[in-house]
Amino acid sequence: MFHSRAEALALALPAAVFAAVVFLAPVVILLAEGFRNAEGWSVAAYTGFLSDPLNRTVFLRTLRLGATVTVVAAVIGYAAAFAIVNLPPTAKGRMIGLVVLPLMISPVARTYAWIVILGRTGIVNQALTSVGLTDEPIRFLFTETAVFVGLLQLFLPLMILALISALENMPKDAIPAARVLGANWFQVFWKVILPLTKEGLVIGGTLVFTGSLTAYITPAILGGSKVLMLETLLFQRVTVANDFVSASVIAFILIVMSFAANLLLKRLATARSKR
Amino acid sequence: MNSRLFPVVVLFLVTAFLIGPFFIIVAASVSGGETLAFPPQGLSLKWVAKVFQVESFRESFAMSMLLAIGGTGAALVLGIPASYALSRYRLPFGETIRTVVALPIIVPGIIVGLALLRYLVVPFRFNITLALFLAHTALVLPYAVRVVSASLNNLRSDIEEAAVLLGSSRAGAFFRVVMPNIRSGILAAFILGFVTSFNQVPVSLFLSGPGVRTLPIDMLSYMEITYDPSVAALSALLAFMSIGIVFIAERFLGFSRYV
Repeated sequence: MFHSRAEALALALPAAVFAAVVFLAPVVILLAEGFRNAEGWSVAAYTGFLSDPLNRTVFLRTLRLGATVTVVAAVIGYAAAFAIVNLPPTAKGRMIGLVVLPLMISPVARTYAWIVILGRTGIVNQALTSVGLTDEPIRFLFTETAVFVGLLQLFLPLMILALISALENMPKDAIPAARVLGANWFQVFWKVILPLTKEGLVIGGTLVFTGSLTAYITPAILGGSKVLMLETLLFQRVTVANDFVSASVIAFILIVMSFAANLLLKRLATARSKR
Repeated sequence: MNSRLFPVVVLFLVTAFLIGPFFIIVAASVSGGETLAFPPQGLSLKWVAKVFQVESFRESFAMSMLLAIGGTGAALVLGIPASYALSRYRLPFGETIRTVVALPIIVPGIIVGLALLRYLVVPFRFNITLALFLAHTALVLPYAVRVVSASLNNLRSDIEEAAVLLGSSRAGAFFRVVMPNIRSGILAAFILGFVTSFNQVPVSLFLSGPGVRTLPIDMLSYMEITYDPSVAALSALLAFMSIGIVFIAERFLGFSRYV
C-alpha cells in the first residue's frame, strides 16, 4: 500500500477524537455521577430510584410498550415485507419508496397527525358519535394505546426494510420446495422463513425496540404527564426538580436496556440456528 | 383468505397506516376553522400563511437549517478521511475507532444533550449554539461514516494505486480519482445527515436558551400553548420539503439503497 499506517491513522483520528471528547466523555461523566454520593462510590441512587413506585411504573411501562411495539411490528412487518418482495420490480421499488418516505418526515409532524386523528374532535371520535356508538367523545389521547399507535407508526418502516432485505437474500426456491414437500403455511413460516431471515429480524427488532425505549417525541405529545416513559420522566426530573441524579440513573438504565436488547436478540438468533 | 388478495390487502392497510396521517395533516392545515379539525371546516390557506408570520418559527427554522447544513458538512469533513482510512488500511485500534465513531447512534440523544449542558455549557459558559453544532455533528458522524464507507467499499482500490504509479500524488489521487467516484455516496450521506439533524429532537431538548431553539423544539412548545392548525400547516410544509428532497435524491442517486 502507499500510505504509511501512521498517515492513515492521522486521517481517522480527528473523527475518533471528536466523538470521544464531544460525546463519549460527557456521557461517561454523567453516568458516573449516578454511582457516587458524598462518601464515594455507591448504588444508593439506584435503590432510591427503584423504590419509588412511580418510577417503577414508568420503567415497566417503557419495557412493556417497547416489547409490544416490537412484536406487533414484527408480525405486520413479515406480512408487508413478504408482499413487497413478491411484487414485480417497478411496483416493488415504488412500494419501498413509500416505506422509506415516512422516515424522512419530521417525527413531530408524524406524531402530531395522531392528535388530529385521536383527539376529542378527531376523526375517530366523530365517526363513533355519528354512528351512535358513543354519546361523549372517548379519551384516546394521553393513554398508553395512543403512545403505542404513535410508536408503531414511527418505527414500523425500520422493521419492514430490515425484513425486506432478509427475505431478498433468502434462496428463492426454499418456499416452493417446502410447499411441494407438504408443509402448510404455518410450517413454512416457522421452519423455513423464520430461520432464514432471523438476522433481519434481529436487526429490525433491535432498531424498533431501542427506538421505542428511547422515544421522546411520541410519549411527550401523545402521553403527556399521564403516560410518562423513561425519557419524558428524565426530562421532567431535570426541568421540574433539577434532579440530575435520577437523570443519570435513567440514562444508565436506557443504555443498559438498549445494549441488553441487542445481545439478547443476537443470542436468540444463534440459539435457534443450532438446532 | 385468498392467497392473491391477501398481499394486496396487507399492502393497502400498511400504506394507509404509514402515509395516511400525512394526508390528514395536509387536510387539517387548509382548514378555515379556528381549531384543529378533520374534515376541515371550509378551505383556506390562512394557517399556512400564519406559519410564515410567526417570528419564532422563522428564527428556529433558520437555526435548524444552519445546524443541519453546518453539522452535516462538519461530520463529512471528519467522516470522509476516517472512512477512507478505515476502509483501505488495517489500522491499529481500527475496531475501537469504528465503535467510538458509531456510538452516537446507539446512545439516546437526550443523554448527550443533558451531558453537554451539564459539563460543557454550564461550567465553561460555553455558547449554546456552538454546543448544539457540536452535538449535531457528533450525531450525524455515524451516518456519514457508514454511507461513505459503503461507497468506498464498492470502489476498487487498484485505480487509485494506478494513479499513484502513474505519478499522481496521494492527495491528488484521492481528490481526482476517489472523490469523483464516491460523489453520489457523499451526496447521499449529506442528505441523510441533513434530514437526521433537521428532524432531531432529543439532543436539542436541553440545549436551548433565549433566542436559541431548533424548529422541532419550537413546534413542541408551540403545541403546548395553542391548539390552532398552524402546527399542522407547518408539519405539512416540512413534510413536503422532505418529500421533495427524497424525490430528487431518489431520482438522481437511487437514494433508498443507502438508507
